[in-house]
Amino acid sequence: MTIHSIIFYLLSSVVIVSTGIAVTRRDLVHAVVYLIFTFFGTAMIFYLLGAPLLAALEVIIYAGAIMVLFLFIIMMIRTEPSTAPLIPPGQWWPVIGFCLLYITAGFLFMYQEPDFWVFLTPAMATPGAFGRFLFQTHWLSIEIISLLLLIAVIGALVLGKPAGKKPNKTNGNRI
Amino acid sequence: MTTTAFTHPSVLAAVLTALPPFLAFVLIMLFLQRHRVLAAALAIGTSGLSLCTAVYLLVRHGSGVPAVQYQAEWLVSGNIKISAGAVLDPTSIFMLCVVTVICFLVQVYSLGYMAKDPGFSRYYAYMAFFEGAMTALVLSPSLLQLYVFWELVGLASYLLIGFWYEKFSASEAGKKAFVMTRLGDVAFLLGMLVLLSHLGNLDINELNSAGVINALSPGVLTMSVLLIFGGIIGKSAQFPLLTWLPDAMEGPTPVSALLHSATMVAAGVFLFARLFPLFSASSTAMSVCLAIGTISMLLTSTMAMVSRDIKKVWAYSTISQLGFMIMGLAAGGFVAGTFHLTTHAGFKALLFLCSGVFIHHYNTNDIFEMSRMGAKSLKIPMFFIIIAAAALAGIPPFSGFFSKELILMQLSGLDNPLWLAAGVIGAILTSYYSFRLIFILLRPGANMGAADRSIRTNSNTHGHHHDSRSEWLMGLPLLFLALVTVSIGFFQDQFSHLLSPEATADAAHAAEHISWLPFLAVGLCVSGALWAWVEYGRRGSAQIGIAERLPVIRALFAERWYMDKIYRWLLDHVIYGGVSRACATNDKKVIDGSLDSFARGAVDSGKILSKLHMTNIQAKLMSAFVIILLLALYSFFEA
Amino acid sequence: MIVPYGHVIVLAGIIFLLGLLCAVTRRNLIMIVLGIEIMLNAGALAFIGASLRWQQMGGQAVALFILAIAAAEVSIGLALIVSVYRKYGTIHVDILEKSTR
Repeated sequence: MTIHSIIFYLLSSVVIVSTGIAVTRRDLVHAVVYLIFTFFGTAMIFYLLGAPLLAALEVIIYAGAIMVLFLFIIMMIRTEPSTAPLIPPGQWWPVIGFCLLYITAGFLFMYQEPDFWVFLTPAMATPGAFGRFLFQTHWLSIEIISLLLLIAVIGALVLGKPAGKKPNKTNGNRI
Repeated sequence: MTTTAFTHPSVLAAVLTALPPFLAFVLIMLFLQRHRVLAAALAIGTSGLSLCTAVYLLVRHGSGVPAVQYQAEWLVSGNIKISAGAVLDPTSIFMLCVVTVICFLVQVYSLGYMAKDPGFSRYYAYMAFFEGAMTALVLSPSLLQLYVFWELVGLASYLLIGFWYEKFSASEAGKKAFVMTRLGDVAFLLGMLVLLSHLGNLDINELNSAGVINALSPGVLTMSVLLIFGGIIGKSAQFPLLTWLPDAMEGPTPVSALLHSATMVAAGVFLFARLFPLFSASSTAMSVCLAIGTISMLLTSTMAMVSRDIKKVWAYSTISQLGFMIMGLAAGGFVAGTFHLTTHAGFKALLFLCSGVFIHHYNTNDIFEMSRMGAKSLKIPMFFIIIAAAALAGIPPFSGFFSKELILMQLSGLDNPLWLAAGVIGAILTSYYSFRLIFILLRPGANMGAADRSIRTNSNTHGHHHDSRSEWLMGLPLLFLALVTVSIGFFQDQFSHLLSPEATADAAHAAEHISWLPFLAVGLCVSGALWAWVEYGRRGSAQIGIAERLPVIRALFAERWYMDKIYRWLLDHVIYGGVSRACATNDKKVIDGSLDSFARGAVDSGKILSKLHMTNIQAKLMSAFVIILLLALYSFFEA
Repeated sequence: MIVPYGHVIVLAGIIFLLGLLCAVTRRNLIMIVLGIEIMLNAGALAFIGASLRWQQMGGQAVALFILAIAAAEVSIGLALIVSVYRKYGTIHVDILEKSTR
């Protein structure tokens, strides 16, 4: 067991635990804060797996921009945590069935996959090399993605424009 | 002779005949609605141009220039070729002359008759339009072109009948004429399509050639000829479709003179003459035509016996004379039919124009009333109308005698004497009703009281507002037509020689055969005239005809043998009650119903789908993942 | 020698399952969008693992695209949530379903 593997297992346990906590929080703000931990952990795993640029981007975009955006929206909407059970009683059996199905399929793949036990050798894609690769072979996709982001900006602007109608205050405080 | 050279002098003349009236129509409708004098001048000028070119053509081809046909391909579809152009053979040139002469005279006459009408320019535009369409119809070398202008002529007729559209009965009459002639035209179109599908060609010359006639099986030939005859029935107001013509008299009197007696209704007969060889190839069709002509002639003669409306009398007589022409043609007398067409155009136009003078003067259509107001005092029109009526009746020196005798001669050549008998009866009736009208006009009823005299004096003073110029304008065409009526009969030989040289020999042969026929004809019309004199003209006569003494017969005749009632009943019970209701039910129950149920089904299935849509989006996400997982497992075990 | 390749995939699978459960069971629109974000993140993690396993940078490029798509998706998703909130005054799925039916 090398230092790398120890770091990986530590990080993965942090990520799994914080994600698990995040998805079960009633308070949205708490959930988002726990998710920030998740994304930090994921960013470090990215670095460990030889993707420093993506690790930086993960921190900037996910942990920074997206989560802050979520926080903004949550603050803006001002909802109170609901007291209803997280998973309605009628939905337990489908959820458990689905999880079992998922885990079965996962195990099947695990034992069938010949590459499963192949150990990863450390390597590092330096940001410069990665950037050159990206703009040499995937420049068209980059352009398409940039266009998609532009469309997303315009779409968000259009959707966010006030419709000129006040929200219904009678059930506005319920989540 | 077929020419493709557009610059052939005859072709140029033909174009000059047919095109200017259309131009005049467009110009008047677009620019000259407010300029009465200019509009009339333009219409009459183009009409005069047409007349000149038509006469030029007559002189040119009458002096031995062979027939000319100019064609350009108009529609080519596979091996179907339709050409457009002009044909100049004796038939078309004669008809052209008749049309342009009558058109010109009627337009000059209308200067007086329509002078005070607010729609003066519109009237002349329609007249020019009619003239263009009619000349183009006459010149058509192919059946399709003829059909196109046939329909345009029908449109002109509709417009002119309903010229005083603010009058309800006039617009109704226009509609009636339009619909009834369309009925016939549908048959015409079908017949044309039958010919087209079997021959791939609608060229009239080729249709008339012996090769084409032999190429068709007898059944197809008879069917197509009868269908085309349906068009003739509609246009010439023959037996089943005859009731539109009397109603068409709602139009201005010059229109009645031009369209509904002399030229347009004769287009049907003209078509018959045009396709004469084709028609005569089918003996069945010829006997049907003969029967239809006979029935129409007799029926309308009886109707004319009781009518009090001067224009209606002439309208009925038009139908009966058209029936007479069709009888002549169907009996095999090409020259007889076309000659009667020519003479009839002359004297019938004269009759209508004279009647127009009376109507214009006395503002009434009723002959008894006219007579009471002193129709006798209008010396010149009275004189002309007597000449024309004598021609209609067939009194010897006038044109009608010659043509009628020709037709009777043809009829006497038939195997069955029934047709000759019908012709004889028709001739007597014609003579009777024309002189009935004359005697009524000449002899104001003896039983009229003093009140009527006062009306008469009133109307005389009232009638003097017409200035001498308009009387003169109206009188000149009358004079010319009267000259034609008197003289044209003597040109019978030249006429028949020009029209078909070989037919002359036949006619001469037949004339030798029955030398007593002219005497029979004279005897017939004189006896008819005498009958009328006994009942109407004799001093102290009751002025009640034999048909009017029996109320049943009188009602029968006056109601046009109840034909309109029968049509109405048929329309109400068969068309509206049967066919339309079935169609409406089909529309409502089958088409609407199926569409409705289809729409309802769509809405219902949409509701079901929308329920799917409205349910929890997360459940759908879940099911999507389940499906993906199952697919993954499936592919796993497959591999 | 870091870890077996399979362990990275298992980690990604576990995070994905958690995100999926969040997106499917939580009755709050924001939590649903969060779950989708978690799933996307798990996908990116799997791609980076594969990229290292085969020593190819293509997987990292796809991970970058996933990041961009996630950013676009979240901006549109949150704008939609805001407009839904403006219109119905709630972002709770159960109430929304009742009021839109």
